[in-house]
Amino acid sequence: MLSRSSLSRNAPRALQKQCSAAGINSRRSLASAATPGLQYDVTEAAGVKLANREIAGPTATLALVAKAGPRYQPFPGFSDALEQFAFKSTLKRSALRINREVELLGGEVSSTHSRENVVLKAKFLSNDLPYFAELLAEVASQSKFAAHELNEVVIKHLKLRQQALAASPEQQAVDAAHVLAFHRGLGESITPSTTTPFEKYLSAEALAEFAQQAYAKSNIALVGSGSNSADLSKWVGQFFKELPSSGSSGQYQLHPGTTSKYHGGEQRISSKAGNAVAIAFPGSAAFGTSGYKPEASVLAALLGGETTIKWTPGFSLLAQATQGFSQARVSTKSHTYSDAGLFTISLSGKADHVASASKNAVDALKKVAAGEVASEDIKKAVALAKFRALESAQNLETGLEATGSALLSGGKPYQIGEIAQSIDAVTEAQVTDVAKNFLSGKASVASVGDLFQLPYGEDLGLTV
Amino acid sequence: MSAPSLTSYIVKRPWLKRWMMPIANWYTDAAGYRRLGLKADDLIPEESEVVQTAIKRLPPKEAYDRVFRIRRAFQCSVSHTLLPANEQTKAADDVEYLSPIIREIEKEQKERADLDSLVVKRR
Repeated sequence: MLSRSSLSRNAPRALQKQCSAAGINSRRSLASAATPGLQYDVTEAAGVKLANREIAGPTATLALVAKAGPRYQPFPGFSDALEQFAFKSTLKRSALRINREVELLGGEVSSTHSRENVVLKAKFLSNDLPYFAELLAEVASQSKFAAHELNEVVIKHLKLRQQALAASPEQQAVDAAHVLAFHRGLGESITPSTTTPFEKYLSAEALAEFAQQAYAKSNIALVGSGSNSADLSKWVGQFFKELPSSGSSGQYQLHPGTTSKYHGGEQRISSKAGNAVAIAFPGSAAFGTSGYKPEASVLAALLGGETTIKWTPGFSLLAQATQGFSQARVSTKSHTYSDAGLFTISLSGKADHVASASKNAVDALKKVAAGEVASEDIKKAVALAKFRALESAQNLETGLEATGSALLSGGKPYQIGEIAQSIDAVTEAQVTDVAKNFLSGKASVASVGDLFQLPYGEDLGLTV
Repeated sequence: MSAPSLTSYIVKRPWLKRWMMPIANWYTDAAGYRRLGLKADDLIPEESEVVQTAIKRLPPKEAYDRVFRIRRAFQCSVSHTLLPANEQTKAADDVEYLSPIIREIEKEQKERADLDSLVVKRR
């Protein structure tokens, strides 16, 4: 069984060296912001954009980032289905075989999607690089998109995911806030809601056509970590050659990304799953784009709501403001995308607590706008924002996608030192200005749950 | 699913195939299922996991047509009649529609069994 060309080429090699891999002890000492190992080298192999960072170690990661998230999907559910179809049967081998081979070599393959990208990721022992590079290329270019896999696996998973979304009011509220803020494009929900009629658009042929475009050379970027750059570009060059440089045009092509425009508004969704309110404002775009505003991430850290230390509410303003409401959870996030961003304050928990806490949250924001914040707190917020940005860049999970996305949108890849500098340079006045702009412009307010108790945006003192 | 058969032996030898085809055609026609409007694949026993899965995987139109043919044949059988000549299955229409799916499922199952009993040799 194992004599299939795909495995035989690499497996003996990999198994042979597996034992010696543990012996390699060339780990670097603690990484600082300026460590060259954390910078990505950007090259191109066989027409595919490739970023890699060489961190010596026994394991490596390779991710394929395709600009095919819900923002670019032609019909609802396509990005979800494309993500679920990763590592299913290809023309060369079945899904089961892929699974067993990966198990045999020791590794992990997974796929996720965000609003903008579909990410296929493989983590493996460094010696297995050729095998996994080939696997990713095969998934991208030769997936079968069998109708029975769509009906028996993919659609069932999608329905479960919809239920998970419906059971999480907070996620629903943030999704609704995106719809209000951006309408189409970035507003497309990450997973179609339970009432979206997505089945009528989905078919195996449609997906195959969509995938051809989604995984075309011009639409993907590869991001590696832990492998040798020369090896990586050699194998990528060899295996990704066959990928079409652009997909055929048809009915199911990628949606051309129109520039995002902020709209704002209010939406109320009744639900029995719980209560949540999401208050959103136009935020900062991703690092390296023209819309990048480090102040937004500092303000997010300043408002916060979630503590970073155990057993204490922490310094953040929202945590302080909502201390009396034990049944409400607050968090502030700055969602960044390639050409726009959304700054969200989301609250969830018991209806009456969420209602009163949301009032306090808006009051806290007003206080920041009025400049009534201790400069000590702003310093703490800058430090926290810097930590978060650097941590997410260093962290494999978030860093790979951010880098791939930056490569695709033509910006520069996440460069750690520059991010740190830009956040350090944020002044108190800038933070106050951002808060002022938020309050003067239109907000997006989404409430999910017991609408009898949840407040309207106007009650909170926001213009919607 | 598969009964012992000489088919592959014969098909591999063109001269033998040429010689056997008229007999085969005559035999299939004489079997009589075409007069009831059925196709050969309608006669595959349904009572197995594999065939059930295969039926589920049929495209909607094929599945509908299959049920229609079977019901019509059942009606003919009950009333002891044959279909009028223009409604009987023509030899050209009597093609495999279920067997390819069954073969695919059998292949999947065989692969699973093989992978489950795999012995890895580490060198």
